[in-house]
Amino acid sequence: MSAIKEFTKGLYSQNPVFKQALGLCPTLAVSNSVQNGIGMGLAATFVLISSNVLVSLIRKAVPAKIRIPIYIVIIASFVTVVDLSMAGFFPGLHKALGIFVPLIVVNCIILGRAEAFAGKNSVGLSFLDGLGMGLGFTMALLILGTIRELLGNGSFFGIPVAGASFEPMLIMILPPGAFLTIGFVMAFFKWLENRKASHA
Amino acid sequence: MKDMVKLGGLLMLITVIAATALAAVYKVTKPRILEQKRLVLERALLLALPGADKTAIVPVKKGDQILYYKGYANPDTTKFVGYAFVAHGPGYSSVIETMVGVDSTGKIIGLKVMSQTETPGLGSRVEQIKHGAKTPWFQDQFRNRKAEKLAVDKDGGEIQSITGATISSRALTKSIVAGYKLLKKEISQN
Repeated sequence: MSAIKEFTKGLYSQNPVFKQALGLCPTLAVSNSVQNGIGMGLAATFVLISSNVLVSLIRKAVPAKIRIPIYIVIIASFVTVVDLSMAGFFPGLHKALGIFVPLIVVNCIILGRAEAFAGKNSVGLSFLDGLGMGLGFTMALLILGTIRELLGNGSFFGIPVAGASFEPMLIMILPPGAFLTIGFVMAFFKWLENRKASHA
Repeated sequence: MKDMVKLGGLLMLITVIAATALAAVYKVTKPRILEQKRLVLERALLLALPGADKTAIVPVKKGDQILYYKGYANPDTTKFVGYAFVAHGPGYSSVIETMVGVDSTGKIIGLKVMSQTETPGLGSRVEQIKHGAKTPWFQDQFRNRKAEKLAVDKDGGEIQSITGATISSRALTKSIVAGYKLLKKEISQN
């Protein structure tokens, strides 16, 4: 695959959330607002790119038998760096995301890409793969967050946009709303895909 | 066997490198994190003790533990504004921590909920600020009332609870009463 394709596949055709169904736990939990979604998306993208690059750098020296613990140590270290930096420089976001920042360690997208791609590809391609998957994850959070925040709180990024008479559907910012939204969005993308296939 | 030693050794090397790098990052971010914590506390104290000078809020300690704060309007601590204490009580799904300021007669002069993770849209409305207002309406009810005799409407008191969040409303109210009683005890023991 050309280098550009390694980057763009993460955005749509192999979108980690909507196509690969990876990392759904944090996706459902922090997509209750646009701000939380973007914050989590960028934090996870940073970890994904960093771990992909490092895993790729050392891929020739890593014995296959212990590659998983090594990947996890690398990922956990970068997540800790993100956690400490957020606590120091973005305390509001850190408080809002709470326990889901440390949970980036077990986000399947990150270990998944390390194992499936970074461990077998060059540093440059691994960087693009991480960037694409990370941005795809962030975009998924943005789409879900926009729908849920608009319907469940009448706002976008904290700014009220729905007018004073709008009665927000509280369920949208609670867990059931998360499942409902992701279900509908995934169905929509599948429908688009089916249409494209039948027109081809 | 030799294989295991080699693999184990390599793992150890990697974790030592990771630990060292993390220790360095921790050291660099520690002062900023402590500063953020201090700012949260300071903001809460200034809201609980309106009119107090931010350099004139004195913690009263027992050993290493801060029992309460005394706030003054001027740096030479001559004009007493009130006492500030942290009230905490179990809510519906979290411990609600509130910084409460009372004057010398036990009247609440200010308060700020510092942390809670109650149900979004229900119990979390203890911090909800309505359109155009500056402070949370639920907390505003406590101002100018005696801290000793607070209760929600369902318990025969005057505090209007949040619809659908009786437990959170009650928890916050009770925590302030309990915190104040503890404050009175600690002041008399000083």
